[in-house]
Amino acid sequence: MMQRSRKKYAPAVLLLLLLTGCQITQSAFARTANNAGAAFAAASTTLTYAHTGKLINAYAQSSFENYQSELSGLDQQLPVQSGAPSKQSLQQLLTLSKPAMQAIQHPCLTATCDWQAQVKALNAASAAFLKAGGS
Amino acid sequence: MPREKDDIFSIRDIIDSQLVTSDGRRIGRVADIEVEWRDDGSLVLTSLVIGPQALVRRTARPIAMIARFLLRNRFEHTIPISDVTQFGPTLQLRRAAADYDVGQADRWIARYILRWIPGSGY
Amino acid sequence: MKKWLSITLGIVTATGGFLDAGTIATAGESGAKFGLGLVWAVLVSTIAVVLLVEMIGRFTALSKKTYAEAIRENLGFRFYLFPLISEIIAESIMLAAELGGIAIALSLITGISWHIMFPIAAILVFVMAWRAPFDWIENAPALLGLLTLSFVVAVVALGGPSRQLLSTLWLPHVQQGDVADYLYLAAATLGATISPYLLYFYSSGAREENWSGKSLLLNIVTAVAGMGFGSLGSLALVFLGAIVLLPLHIQATTLGELGLVLAKPFGPVGALIFALTLFATCFGAALEVVLAVSYNIAQGFGWEWGENKKPVEAARFNLVIVLFLLIAVAIGLIGIDPLQLALLGSTVIALFLPISLWPFLILMNDSQYLGEKTNGRLANIAIICILVIAFVVAIVSIPLEILSGGG
Repeated sequence: MMQRSRKKYAPAVLLLLLLTGCQITQSAFARTANNAGAAFAAASTTLTYAHTGKLINAYAQSSFENYQSELSGLDQQLPVQSGAPSKQSLQQLLTLSKPAMQAIQHPCLTATCDWQAQVKALNAASAAFLKAGGS
Repeated sequence: MPREKDDIFSIRDIIDSQLVTSDGRRIGRVADIEVEWRDDGSLVLTSLVIGPQALVRRTARPIAMIARFLLRNRFEHTIPISDVTQFGPTLQLRRAAADYDVGQADRWIARYILRWIPGSGY
Repeated sequence: MKKWLSITLGIVTATGGFLDAGTIATAGESGAKFGLGLVWAVLVSTIAVVLLVEMIGRFTALSKKTYAEAIRENLGFRFYLFPLISEIIAESIMLAAELGGIAIALSLITGISWHIMFPIAAILVFVMAWRAPFDWIENAPALLGLLTLSFVVAVVALGGPSRQLLSTLWLPHVQQGDVADYLYLAAATLGATISPYLLYFYSSGAREENWSGKSLLLNIVTAVAGMGFGSLGSLALVFLGAIVLLPLHIQATTLGELGLVLAKPFGPVGALIFALTLFATCFGAALEVVLAVSYNIAQGFGWEWGENKKPVEAARFNLVIVLFLLIAVAIGLIGIDPLQLALLGSTVIALFLPISLWPFLILMNDSQYLGEKTNGRLANIAIICILVIAFVVAIVSIPLEILSGGG
């Protein structure tokens, strides 16, 4: 009985090894960078829509709360993940992420602050992170 | 399709079947059966056994002792086979729900737990 | 006249039942990440679920036995434990995800954090499940769910997919590093759509409505038209993700982002419609999930059950509803994002799919229950194909989830 069940799982494990060998998935760093880039893009679009009359404030506010939890701890995660690039490029990424993270934490949803600057920062961060993730 | 009195049927028509009383209430499922060896050599089905311990004894013998320790026979019931008027996936019983000990857990839970939730209809 | 009214209600219900947090999550991400490259997964799962729903509806109408009852009676208590335990595990996660979906919808409308809205969502679902008669449960969220047609309208309003996008229908654009993601979403789509809770609920609903041999036509129409219309909403969401989110590099990893697809063509009204649709579909699904598990347990153990009875008349059944909701709330309070929870739930469902669907092969050929209306050869071949797909999906789902980092 034991022999049979071991044999049953062998092909699945082999398949798994084969697949990982063929690099069907990204490195942990690439994945984090990609997700972050996408989240920055989403935040940028949400912010733009909120100021161009396509979204009510309540919606934008809730969306940003979700982006905050999605991106929390980004600057701590990035340096330690497998597949991270050279120290120099990593530093560049983290520098770009600072104003973007600032926008995420304190999105400008009223007319009194500089929302265009935030959108710019988010776009720049998004592009850089997506590039680093290999998109 | 319910079976008639003289049909030959298998254990499948009894074990795990739904018990329904004469007033249409569901009171549980058959967990096990009791048989008797008569003097004339025949093996006769005498009663239905309902209860968690019987279920455990039939399907998971190794933990039957633990079940007995925890439940102390408090939820075990037997119903004489003469009470069954119809066999099949649903066993129709002769008497009303109040005449059976089985299925009283519903009343206990209604009385001691559900009544505190508004709208329970207690 | 009354018969046609009943049929339209059935279609409306099935439409609402198709979309839930799981199908919304997988459809949105599929479109945003892979354009139209996963439309085939939606189509395959739609066909499978139409067939399964028709079969279980036919079975229950003729035998007057629900799926769970038939599993215990026909396959014994020991076998019954397998689908039971797998359902409890999978649906606990799924219920938490649906409640999360309701909470997110409410937060998008009010601006209040979804963590605060979560217990409110649980209470709303509880009140409906506790006292509402089956008719209301069937119809109320379903009527709101008609809002999913707005997804289809949005696709048209945005001018439909570009030619380049259309080419991804048969030639998906998948980079080497994204293969695991792609396959994972395919498996999750199958799990999210072919959800066994739908079958347990539908079967129990057929008993609540006292279906008989006369209801067979109603059953076919509900299954085909209902699931068909429902999948339209799901497909529309894939298209919208592809048209709006993909070019912006947005990956739809939160439910709020998905609303942007309706904000683009319709402005703030669009986003509001998305939030309302999310609310309606997740609310309907939450009810179906909690009732499906409660039906399963009560029916399997032979207790009194039914939504048209007062809670004290079916005490153990209603107690399970309460306990199950509490378990889901506990899982939800861990704070995992509802979209991620929905993907996880769909993966777990995919893992257990073969166990939940296996009884079909046996029950649909049992003439003691079905008389002359047992499955023909084609129907049996269909079940076997579905089971093969289910087995493949079950084996690859967990490895793929690990490899792809959970979508």
